[in-house]
Amino acid sequence: MDKTTKEILGEKIKDARWTPLYNPEALQRIDDTIGDWRETKVREADKKNWEVTPQTILGSKIPRNLFYGPSDVKDSDYLEDLGYPGSEPFTRGIHANMYRGRAFTRRQLSGAGSPEYVNKRIKMLLDHGATGMNLALDLPTVQMFDSDEPEARGHVGVVGVPVDCVADMEEIFKDIPIDKISASIVTHFPRNTAIIFPMYLVMAERRGIPWDKLEGSVQNDFIMESVVRNGPEFISPKATFKLQCDNIEFIRQNVPRWNYVTLNGYNLREFGSSGITEMAVALSNAIESFEEIIRRGHEVDWVAERVAFFWAPANDFFEEVARLRAVRRLWYRIMKYRFNAQNPRSMWMRCHVQTSGISLMREEPMNNVIRASYHALAAILGGAQSLHVDSYDEAYSVPTEESSLLSLRTQQIIEAETAVTQVVDPLGGSFYLETLTNQVEKAILDEIEEIEKMGGLSKCVERGWLQKKVSEFIHNEQDMIEKGEITIVGRNYYRTSDVKLPDIRVPDYPEGLEEKMKAKLDRIRRERDNNQVVRCLRNLKEACEKGENVTYHTLEAARSNATKGEMRRAIVEGFGPWRSGLIV
Amino acid sequence: MEKKIRVLLSQPSLENHSRGIITVANMLRNAGMEVIYISNSLPDQVARTAIQEDVDAIGISILCGAELIFGKDLVDKAKEFNMREDVIFMMGGIFPPQHIPKLKEIGFSGIFGPSATKEEIVGFITQNVSVN
Repeated sequence: MDKTTKEILGEKIKDARWTPLYNPEALQRIDDTIGDWRETKVREADKKNWEVTPQTILGSKIPRNLFYGPSDVKDSDYLEDLGYPGSEPFTRGIHANMYRGRAFTRRQLSGAGSPEYVNKRIKMLLDHGATGMNLALDLPTVQMFDSDEPEARGHVGVVGVPVDCVADMEEIFKDIPIDKISASIVTHFPRNTAIIFPMYLVMAERRGIPWDKLEGSVQNDFIMESVVRNGPEFISPKATFKLQCDNIEFIRQNVPRWNYVTLNGYNLREFGSSGITEMAVALSNAIESFEEIIRRGHEVDWVAERVAFFWAPANDFFEEVARLRAVRRLWYRIMKYRFNAQNPRSMWMRCHVQTSGISLMREEPMNNVIRASYHALAAILGGAQSLHVDSYDEAYSVPTEESSLLSLRTQQIIEAETAVTQVVDPLGGSFYLETLTNQVEKAILDEIEEIEKMGGLSKCVERGWLQKKVSEFIHNEQDMIEKGEITIVGRNYYRTSDVKLPDIRVPDYPEGLEEKMKAKLDRIRRERDNNQVVRCLRNLKEACEKGENVTYHTLEAARSNATKGEMRRAIVEGFGPWRSGLIV
Repeated sequence: MEKKIRVLLSQPSLENHSRGIITVANMLRNAGMEVIYISNSLPDQVARTAIQEDVDAIGISILCGAELIFGKDLVDKAKEFNMREDVIFMMGGIFPPQHIPKLKEIGFSGIFGPSATKEEIVGFITQNVSVN
């Protein structure tokens, strides 16, 4: 690449701005009178501290003025920078009628426990008006270990559902109309997307449901695997990135309505980064993935229309609204000017949001209901497509049935009772919000520039740049909380002297599930054609060595009833292990 | 030259959250302690390393459940390998309130949730570790 994204956009956008928003005479009059106002009305202290930088959890450090007026946005060009909802540059929303046409998808996580229990829980959420579902996998499944491996001890079915092989998928989705309900499967990593998603496809195949009827998403983000998570074993960021692209290509070729990647800013931010880094990293990842898919001989419009993002709205309310609008505009500009995309759908920044869990506190947990409501409201005012609201007991355990219902109700109250969904982009045009949207967009682009100048995201991860950035962010934020610079109600601000532990009763470890899963694995390993399994696993390992698309081979392995642990080991053997760059 | 307090930090083999352990490692270093961090490990690996490194305290970070099972396995292994009896066991992370008394029974004397402060964690270690 000869030019960076920032250089390309700089050249193209300069030529597109030709209708200033205000006439010069009006601006002159405002400039003439504002000085008077400042002199006569604004206190000395406020003049001195005209700019303050909000100190919030996961905040960005963008300074704020006391007040914003037309002069702050005088360089804006309405059609180039804002336009109309459903039209370029999509700042004001990707659909013309936004939530009037279709409310945000209320997509709560579906809980933990055995495959049969989770099947019941999904049905319960659907009965209560959830319009999609979010399948949370247990830790061994996320980390690709079988329920009977020693590492899985104590973790089976605790924070999600165990999936060892296709039989578990069959149990989880029994009698659930997967050709009518969209399923988001929270796979996190490229490696486990390649392992787990084919099991879903084989389950559909066995039920006679064609793959072009299936709708939903997987996560499939190499930053999640190489940077955000910790674990007992890794393959190199380069191999992980390649697997991410293999999944994209495979899903695009075989499951046309499936979102093949959810670029996960959320977990990186929650791990420890600002909302700017969250978006800069996810966008860099998208840019590099598309470059790779194009290199493999595909058209950008063939791949781009199904990309999805996943963001974490936290406490700085206006910044959160601004971030969603800014990243929508920036994504449009990248697709239009850098990739020359033709299909408007390729330029849509579609996103799922989950309210910030790190911003929720252990002290006085009911306060978290209020916090999460503001996070959710910011996401909706920012035009998100789909929403999960975290629960008040987040600092204690996986949400209980009662608290997850309250989260769903939070969404429904905003949607049905506050009327905020009746008008598209209701805060658009606010001098403050538009200034902040411009500042956020510039800050994200600057950080993308930094990544590109270092040779791209995989290299940044291999060198530990991102890991170091996260560690520093965590140390710095902890320091600010301890000094009281970041104020948290009930913790370091208006803390009651007598902090009692609330009576949160969480379901205990699923009794006997581990043994049940082990027995099931034994039975499956006895009953399947093990020669076929061995053949499939050998082909899988060789595909990794030869640089073929790996996902076609994990699909064959899933068909043979190979387990996730068996596939994981074949992939590690094929690519070779890598040492994590976590900095502690 | 005063002997520094040595603390081993680890997570169960599959635990994939690290924010807490990064935060605590930093707190302990700033307080002048030596931190030995071993990434994701099984209970017997933690116990073996603790003995090899002759640490004064062990801190385990857990957010995804298994605290009771992993905790008990670790204490059992420590006994089996004849670890020094004055080593203190600590746990941090997210677990249900009703598990705290059970963890204390198992042998974890310091239990810290997501809002624990530097004073609480560092204070606990310095009070409970006798450096001779």
